[in-house]
Amino acid sequence: MNDVVQLFLRSAIVLTGTAVVTFALLWHAPGDPALSIAVARFDSAVSDEVVARIRAEAGLDAGFWAGFAHWVVPLLSGDFGKSSVTGRQVWPELLDAVRLTVPLALLGLAVGLALSVPLAIVAARRPGGWIDRGAVALASFGAAMPAYWLALLLILVFAVKLNWLPAFGAGSASSLVLPALTLGLGTGASLTRILRSSLLEARGAAFLPALARRGVGSRERAVAHVAPHAMIPVLTIVGLELAFLMEGAVMVEVIFGRPGVGSFLVDAISARDFPKVQGVVMLTAVLFVTVNLVIDLLYRLVDPRIGERHG
Amino acid sequence: MGASGSGKSTLCHVLVDRLRRDGVAVAHVPQSPDEALDPLRSLAFHWRQAERALGLAPDSDRRAELLRALGLDGGGLQVRPWAWSRGMQQRFVVAMALLARPAVLILDEPTSALDPIIAATTLDLIEAHLDGTATTLVLVTHDLGLAAARAHRILVMDDGRLVEQADTAVLLAQPRNAAAQALVAHRSWAAAPC
Amino acid sequence: MLKIDGLTARRGGKTVLTDISLAVGPGETLAVLGESGAGKSTLVAATLGLVAPQLGTVTWDGRPLGRGGAALVMQEPRAAFNPALSLRRSVLEPLRAQGMPDDAARIDRLCAGLELDPAMLDRKPYTVSIGQAQRAGILRALIAAPPLVLFDEPLSALDAVTQKQTAGLITALQREEGFAALIVTHDLGYAAAHADAVAVLRAGRIEETAPAADFFRVPRSAYARSLVAAATSLGALERRVA
Repeated sequence: MNDVVQLFLRSAIVLTGTAVVTFALLWHAPGDPALSIAVARFDSAVSDEVVARIRAEAGLDAGFWAGFAHWVVPLLSGDFGKSSVTGRQVWPELLDAVRLTVPLALLGLAVGLALSVPLAIVAARRPGGWIDRGAVALASFGAAMPAYWLALLLILVFAVKLNWLPAFGAGSASSLVLPALTLGLGTGASLTRILRSSLLEARGAAFLPALARRGVGSRERAVAHVAPHAMIPVLTIVGLELAFLMEGAVMVEVIFGRPGVGSFLVDAISARDFPKVQGVVMLTAVLFVTVNLVIDLLYRLVDPRIGERHG
Repeated sequence: MGASGSGKSTLCHVLVDRLRRDGVAVAHVPQSPDEALDPLRSLAFHWRQAERALGLAPDSDRRAELLRALGLDGGGLQVRPWAWSRGMQQRFVVAMALLARPAVLILDEPTSALDPIIAATTLDLIEAHLDGTATTLVLVTHDLGLAAARAHRILVMDDGRLVEQADTAVLLAQPRNAAAQALVAHRSWAAAPC
Repeated sequence: MLKIDGLTARRGGKTVLTDISLAVGPGETLAVLGESGAGKSTLVAATLGLVAPQLGTVTWDGRPLGRGGAALVMQEPRAAFNPALSLRRSVLEPLRAQGMPDDAARIDRLCAGLELDPAMLDRKPYTVSIGQAQRAGILRALIAAPPLVLFDEPLSALDAVTQKQTAGLITALQREEGFAALIVTHDLGYAAAHADAVAVLRAGRIEETAPAADFFRVPRSAYARSLVAAATSLGALERRVA
């Protein structure tokens, strides 16, 4: 149990570190943040008085650590602060953006899994055979292809030439298809490669021939023994892919002109709206840390040796 | 018996497949428990799986009886194999092999993965359990000392061929083939050149 | 003379060795017997200075064993070599590490003693047999003429015939070179045939130390008695020895 406590402790340290680094980067960014806020809010002609008021209001006048505390203490209770530009609460807007991005990321993962699982199983059946080589080549090609290029290609074919699907926007369910495909193809490519190799490794497990000699059928060997062993590395990758997909979704959203965390972040950066930027960074950090934590805990369920070894 | 690479293990595997196809009850115990047990599955699961493969109904009395015959207390099978010592795992594998009431029981290098005390005790327990049954025990080893101490008959392999077979006493006294002669010459440590 | 005095060592947060005291003189062979988990590997590591002792000292003639003071022969012969280098490169490493010149004559002499064709040293570890690789491992251990050589289960990866041949070569070379040998093994037959003294390690403690002849005639501790009985029933010891 001791090492589970350690896991949580480690997550807390990572989050604290992220918060400090994020704040420090913005604190030390060139230019006076209070002035930038004032400019963003009121346009260029602002009096020193206004700047001073903004500085006090944003907790920027009392030094680094005081400023940090001013931001981080409310954050602990889920208060992301107010936008320095609009003065509205960050969290509700961020939540709206997340609500648009999560379905896209999940759909991307679903597409990735739907492509990679069958492909990897078929490929691993005959390693070195033509299906396997084709699958590996396809996966390498998919992994090497940049998402933005793939996105433009998909738009060109399905929206412009064939006119089957909308290229931009988020109005209908059909507008999700192309962004999800963009995300899913890239994810599917890397998942295929990892799944295939972990299946091959699990199939080479030392105890399998003995099971066959004991009269255990090939179907049972595959389902009850190979699959759980192959699942262990896949678990990590699927979790991390999900976190990366949230990130990848940001870029894809911008390309496809979809509202979501992507456009939220881009708008916030161009407006120098620090609370919003910090909000996105911290939310991403929490996501990564949570995913890692869940994977680590799941590991202990699938393979209790892991807990034993550390404990 | 024979040196490493002489084809002992391959012969074992062919033997198991062939005998099984001919309908002979045969069981094989690999050198190390790692080659017999899935580390992610409980010992109880392995046992039940072995029963199912033999078309047997779950029988916890027989399970307890076999495990006790090998010096295990018969319980605590909900754990995964690695929660037990290697010696205990190996005995579990042997007990599972005996479940089939094999006419032929093949033990592949039973002493090499275990400490001597555990290896000797395990072999004693197996021999005691099989005493009075018609089961043939096939012991695969590269160590003539072990074969001489335990076997009635010795078969010597060299480079994929069966080069000699004889009763233990005969083979020790008059090995004819060169491979057998080398084994006999280096039978015990005391006879080593030093 | 190697003296291990009151050695206590921890590994992975657990005390693995407790109050170990042993001595081996030049030209002598001490066999440390024990089953897996008894602490044999930690004893080797602590003697080499790879594990810092919690308590106690490891000395050679009253001084700490410095660089070049001891060499190790490992259990897995081929894994003990860098697979990318020729055996010759690896064998010369101890000399180069101590700033000594390559000594072709010594290699040839040791090769003769190990019944090893010197031309074979130009091959890579995984292209030679396990027995040959282990003899190259012994060559590497002896090349810089260390006063002490540690053997960690040096024969367990070899088959029975090769084991006995290799053991004979080690003993013959020891007679020429005069190094002290500390051999960690669970093979009582090997100890009976080649060791001057025997120490039984169990659960991190020395259970019994005795001259080999006495040990195999009358093992004192109950554990040593069961070890000898087991080895006899497995045919590793001749019945008359026990």
